[in-house]
Amino acid sequence: MNDWLTAHGALTPFYAGVIQGAGVTVYTSSLAFVIGLALGVGLLVVRATGGGIARAVIAVYVSAMRGTPLLIQLLVAYYVLPSLLGISISPIAAGILALALNTAAYISEILRGALSTIPRGQAAAARALGLQPTQVWRHVLLPQLFHRAVPPLTNEYTVLLKASSLLSIIAVTELATVARNATLQSDLPLQVFTATAVVYFLMLWCASSVSRVIERYFARLLPNVH
Amino acid sequence: MFIDFDVVEQAVPALLHGLKITAAVSAIGIPLGILVGTITAYMADAQRWPLRAVALGYVELVRNIPFLIVVYLSFFGLPKLGLLASAFSISIGATAFYTGGYFCEILRAAFRSVAKGQVRAALSLGLSDWQVQRHVVVPQIFGFLIPPTVSLAMMMFKDTAVFSVMSLPELTYQSNLMTADTFAYLEVLGTTALIYWGCSVVMEVLGHAMETRVRRWSHQ
Repeated sequence: MNDWLTAHGALTPFYAGVIQGAGVTVYTSSLAFVIGLALGVGLLVVRATGGGIARAVIAVYVSAMRGTPLLIQLLVAYYVLPSLLGISISPIAAGILALALNTAAYISEILRGALSTIPRGQAAAARALGLQPTQVWRHVLLPQLFHRAVPPLTNEYTVLLKASSLLSIIAVTELATVARNATLQSDLPLQVFTATAVVYFLMLWCASSVSRVIERYFARLLPNVH
Repeated sequence: MFIDFDVVEQAVPALLHGLKITAAVSAIGIPLGILVGTITAYMADAQRWPLRAVALGYVELVRNIPFLIVVYLSFFGLPKLGLLASAFSISIGATAFYTGGYFCEILRAAFRSVAKGQVRAALSLGLSDWQVQRHVVVPQIFGFLIPPTVSLAMMMFKDTAVFSVMSLPELTYQSNLMTADTFAYLEVLGTTALIYWGCSVVMEVLGHAMETRVRRWSHQ
């Protein structure tokens, strides 16, 4: 017990880095989520309207992203992509890229599930009323899609927030890296990682509170859907 | 072609050796986690509040903490508490701990899909608690359980890659050793990814087959 009390002072290296580390965690996962959302919508539209080859390519992409560990994807983004493309890439950029490409596959599947719950007649009716295909997506399908997909999408964001801890393995200074470094300095792994777990817990708790606000917003925006 | 197949050929035996450990950790840890999840799911519906509190606290803990932090806590923290174990058993423990929290949630959602009136009706017909589970609840939720359980198993199978950080000689660790040796990142990481992908696809296909079977069986 005495250990735990004296540990307070020894946690100083952790306290010094925790705000910045948590900031990087939120920043990387949020940016990756926004990019992944845009890509996921793109994948969905191509998959729903494109030809056989495009659909097959996307199906393989989604299967590969869902079938391999994120850790391997991070290593590929950090070590393989730069040499293939002949560019240099910072760890944080590689991390965000891998997270975004990974989540895009999951998001496109979430949206595909939501799309399948919208009656097919709606798109046909909108076309018959003279809307262009882009207008059908913009005004009829996508708003309903997002409304239905808010709970799984916000869940996907929390998954991403947790998964971003793996960025520590390619030397991005996010929360898990701060914790790891703090244990190397203080040799108090139990205290430091428990504190880290608490910080993650709070961040994820905030994220799920925000998600409930978003859900209510969409419910007000589209009161008559369902 | 710029792919060096000699390196691939060289890497495959070591990678397959790593796959054995990945498979062993998954094959022991995930079922163990399902057992833990089942126990905690029944605890979460228990009459006594301490049991409920422990179960719900456990689920919230697992759902809100990254797997990496759980791994760090178990590998660095447990020895400090005087609990010494091999990397292999700690890996299995961490996998089971994390799987259990998620499976508890899956099972609780499945329980809610069975109308409460059915359980009450069965109890009032004189069935024991055990018989209610055996003949009323479990047969109905089985089909409901399979898809999320398969994706949970796939998730945890992939998450075992994290144990490479703790030098458990599993697939990703072997891959890291090979890349450090040869610098052939494309070949080694590509082969590793293909191995993981192949296993995931097999798990998915088996899951689908099981789902169709159970569905046919429950419609009889």
